[in-house]
Amino acid sequence: MKKRARLRRPFSASAFAAQAGMMIGALVMLAPVVWMFSTSLKPESAVLDANPKWIPNPITLEHFHRLFTQAQDFPVLRWLANSVFVACSVTLLVLIVTSTAAYAFSRLKFPGRDILFMVVIATMMIPGQVNLIPVFLIVQKLGWFNSYFGLIVPCIAGAFGVFLLRQFFLSIPVELEEAAFVDGAGLFTIYWRVILPLAKPALATLAIFTFIGAWNDFVWPMIVTSDISMRTLPVGVMIFQGRYVTEYGATMATAAICSVPTIIAFLIFQKRITEGIAMTGIKG
Amino acid sequence: MRPSHGTCLLIWISVCLALICGCGSHKTPARSKVVTLQFWNGFSGPDGTTMERIVRRFNSEHPDIKVRMQIIPWGTYYDKVTLGLAYGGAPDVFILHCDALPRYADSSSLLCLDDLIAKGDLREADFMPRPWQACHWKGKQYAIPLDCHPQGLYYNVDLFKKAGIVDERGNAKPPADLKEFLADAKKLTIDTNGDGTPDQWGFVFTWLRTNYVTFLSQQGGSLLSKDSRESMLNSPQANAALDLMTDFVDKYKIAPRPEGQDAWIGFQTGKIAMALEGIYMLSSLEQQKKLHYAGAPCPMFGRQRGAWANSHLLVMPAKLSPEKRRAGWTFIKYLSDHSLEWAKGGQVPVRKSILASPAFRQLPVQYEFSKQLPYVAYLPASVSINQVLPFADAAVEAALCGIKPAHEALAEADRRTREVLERE
Amino acid sequence: MKSRNQAPAAALFLLPYATVFLVFVLAPILYGFFISLHKWYILAPRPEFIGLRNYRMVLGDDLFRLAMLRTAYFVVMVVPVGNALSLLLAVGLNQNFRGTAFYKVAYYLPVVMTVSVVAILWRWLYSTEFGLLNHYLGQASGVMHGVLPKVFPATWKTEWLNNPRTAMPSIALLSVWWGAGGNMLIYLAGLKNIPRELLEAAEIDGASPIKRFWAVTWPLLRPTTLFCVVMSVIASSQVFGQTYILTGGGPYYSTLTVILYMYQQGFGQYQLGYAAAVGYVLFAAVLVFTLIQFRLLRVKQ
Repeated sequence: MKKRARLRRPFSASAFAAQAGMMIGALVMLAPVVWMFSTSLKPESAVLDANPKWIPNPITLEHFHRLFTQAQDFPVLRWLANSVFVACSVTLLVLIVTSTAAYAFSRLKFPGRDILFMVVIATMMIPGQVNLIPVFLIVQKLGWFNSYFGLIVPCIAGAFGVFLLRQFFLSIPVELEEAAFVDGAGLFTIYWRVILPLAKPALATLAIFTFIGAWNDFVWPMIVTSDISMRTLPVGVMIFQGRYVTEYGATMATAAICSVPTIIAFLIFQKRITEGIAMTGIKG
Repeated sequence: MRPSHGTCLLIWISVCLALICGCGSHKTPARSKVVTLQFWNGFSGPDGTTMERIVRRFNSEHPDIKVRMQIIPWGTYYDKVTLGLAYGGAPDVFILHCDALPRYADSSSLLCLDDLIAKGDLREADFMPRPWQACHWKGKQYAIPLDCHPQGLYYNVDLFKKAGIVDERGNAKPPADLKEFLADAKKLTIDTNGDGTPDQWGFVFTWLRTNYVTFLSQQGGSLLSKDSRESMLNSPQANAALDLMTDFVDKYKIAPRPEGQDAWIGFQTGKIAMALEGIYMLSSLEQQKKLHYAGAPCPMFGRQRGAWANSHLLVMPAKLSPEKRRAGWTFIKYLSDHSLEWAKGGQVPVRKSILASPAFRQLPVQYEFSKQLPYVAYLPASVSINQVLPFADAAVEAALCGIKPAHEALAEADRRTREVLERE
Repeated sequence: MKSRNQAPAAALFLLPYATVFLVFVLAPILYGFFISLHKWYILAPRPEFIGLRNYRMVLGDDLFRLAMLRTAYFVVMVVPVGNALSLLLAVGLNQNFRGTAFYKVAYYLPVVMTVSVVAILWRWLYSTEFGLLNHYLGQASGVMHGVLPKVFPATWKTEWLNNPRTAMPSIALLSVWWGAGGNMLIYLAGLKNIPRELLEAAEIDGASPIKRFWAVTWPLLRPTTLFCVVMSVIASSQVFGQTYILTGGGPYYSTLTVILYMYQQGFGQYQLGYAAAVGYVLFAAVLVFTLIQFRLLRVKQ
């Protein structure tokens, strides 16, 4: 906690009340998440307790152990692997694909540039769910149903990344490029050696947003896969609805596994996320 | 020109190639003398084990055909079948429920079996008429019925004896009509600890949809008109059926409100004396060692006999190679010939010869339930039945749980059904 | 300087994004509309062109109208409450109390969780017998029961998700919990953009904190507010995951939302044309509503 220099205000009841409110609010917000982790560490017998206990005693890993050993009932490891592979692939592809497009939109001159960019931005306003059926049919036609291609490729065409990176690229001084140009660099070299390194912060922001979004995607992976082994964690977690609806410990354990990566990513890259959101809000 | 452009080009070309190569790989079928058949069904649990046994025997008796069975739980079964038929990967022989047949037959996804039947191995005369008829759509036949699973009355023999409901020989006597049923159920609804709520109920509603169809058919009614073009959910018969069901709960007080609880467990644990359920629930009762139960045809609650039923039908997809067609037909015939084996797992066969056999009569509950075959009521044959059923379900549930009056609930369901039928 | 024609180079740079964008964003929008003009059961040999008939049927569809009402109910519950909460939290964060970093994490954390985890977690919280909500309400009510037995029951056994009256509000509550943190950061950025001199001038003039907020902050926050409200409406009108997982549209269609209905028609009944039309009617409705919002909350310079 950094101590900032602030106006010396006399102690005021309203400020105290506000702080207390913030603290209570924070605890209430966190309560369900804490409850999820707590339940996942409780022995099965303690899960359904008339007097709910927040701190599990004893702490047990039996649910996690069960998930990882009973793969035929809950292929959690497979889902985890799928989620990692899909989220990382989407992130990598998005970085490549949107940075080149953003470079073209920000630095290259060609007819119709601005109109095309407006078209791209306009699609950000379209509710994504409306596209589910046509994209599903297109994916079927391509033969990508129930495959990693179907899970990954349709998810990399978001307009947010192009928008974000173009803003950032526009802020890079033209002189740097011109200097490189004079040195004999081609456009691709400029992109690769000048723009990208300078854009690391924006790329990092885009990467973290894309990763979290891809990891958490629920509807599309559910629609595009039919085999249980091809599903990602968010979809797999739903297995605890039918037959296993009473397996509360295992349910919370799977939910915990699904949430830990994005929570850790958020904690590490907080600044990037805050800045990224700020940029969207300000421009909007 | 400049190397950087060339590198650029190379990269994008390879990316595009990679994408194109991902566009589905097509496997060429291996040529061999053994025909492999992919057989899909949803028989999980004991049903699946029984079917596995039959399939294994078939494979050993037919060296030139190999049947590979895949069990897909009913919850996702129809999605997989539909997508397989639409986009490839469909099985070669599979099971459909009766009510699913219309939408697959109507879209020309199923193989018409008229030519194969004309050969004479399986004849109409061998089969009970209603299940056989249910395999037709618009004048053509698309399926062979494997079985019929009607609803019937399960009753707790011990509770009946304790209440003195027995025949001359001291055996528990199940009710045959509404008057006997209400009298028996009243005797069997007992409040042992005097807290106002009965601890033992005479009757319970389990699956509301099938119970309703039974009551409805006994009133001479139906969910849709004969040509399935009009909704009959607001007819006098539909209202009479639902009113009678709500009377069991509200007026005669012989059944609890069907909310939240797993009603079947109540019967399994001996807290409920009677229930109307399908023959397929038999295996779940056989596991209860302390439960003494028996089966009987549904009592006649209305002005005619009737009982909900469904059937598992054997079908093949329209696009099938000639040798798979022949092999599939052989397999289908084998399954039908051996449907006694299948019946032992908790089904009723539909082959007349098997129904008449002494071996079948040894299966007491199946035999009792099979007496209803001449008058079983299937769901209406309609491509939209899947859309209509949730409306009827919601109406029945709302009425029985006291959320809406029966006629209001049915009127709403009727309106929604009409809209769906107009969209056909 | 760069007098060469950059179009070929630009084309190369744009090619990968353009390919994916065309195939998976632009084409589906047009293809989807094309599908909606057909009667198309997925197994039908060929789709049948019926013009705008699907749209007429959708508008006359009892369940669709019900779904629109339920969705509107959801939006009306979630957007004002959610945005007010987000703004309140942002104001709180802007005060730079001790522990602001912790608060920021705590409030934003739900946002990085996926909808299925959120839904399944809250199903557990809303459980009639074992849920935390009923437990603590029961404890509070039990204490009051000693004082006013007729008003407060001894235990609390509300069936949050099983009762048609409480199902949708329950889903709205968990949606607010899930999304408040996202808008909070946007409002915070907006707040930080307000020039300090204006606020300090108002303080010197003797205005109370509340007066300062309404006179200075609120008007200058308009662009941010407009953005957040518009995006909230667009997002919440498409609610699907929570209702699909928790209630499937029930009980008695009390939580049937439009996208859920579209999903049921498209991936349940496989009536692709009809489902596409459902989606586009929603899209049109949201578009009109968004334009209305822009006019109403127009930024006054």
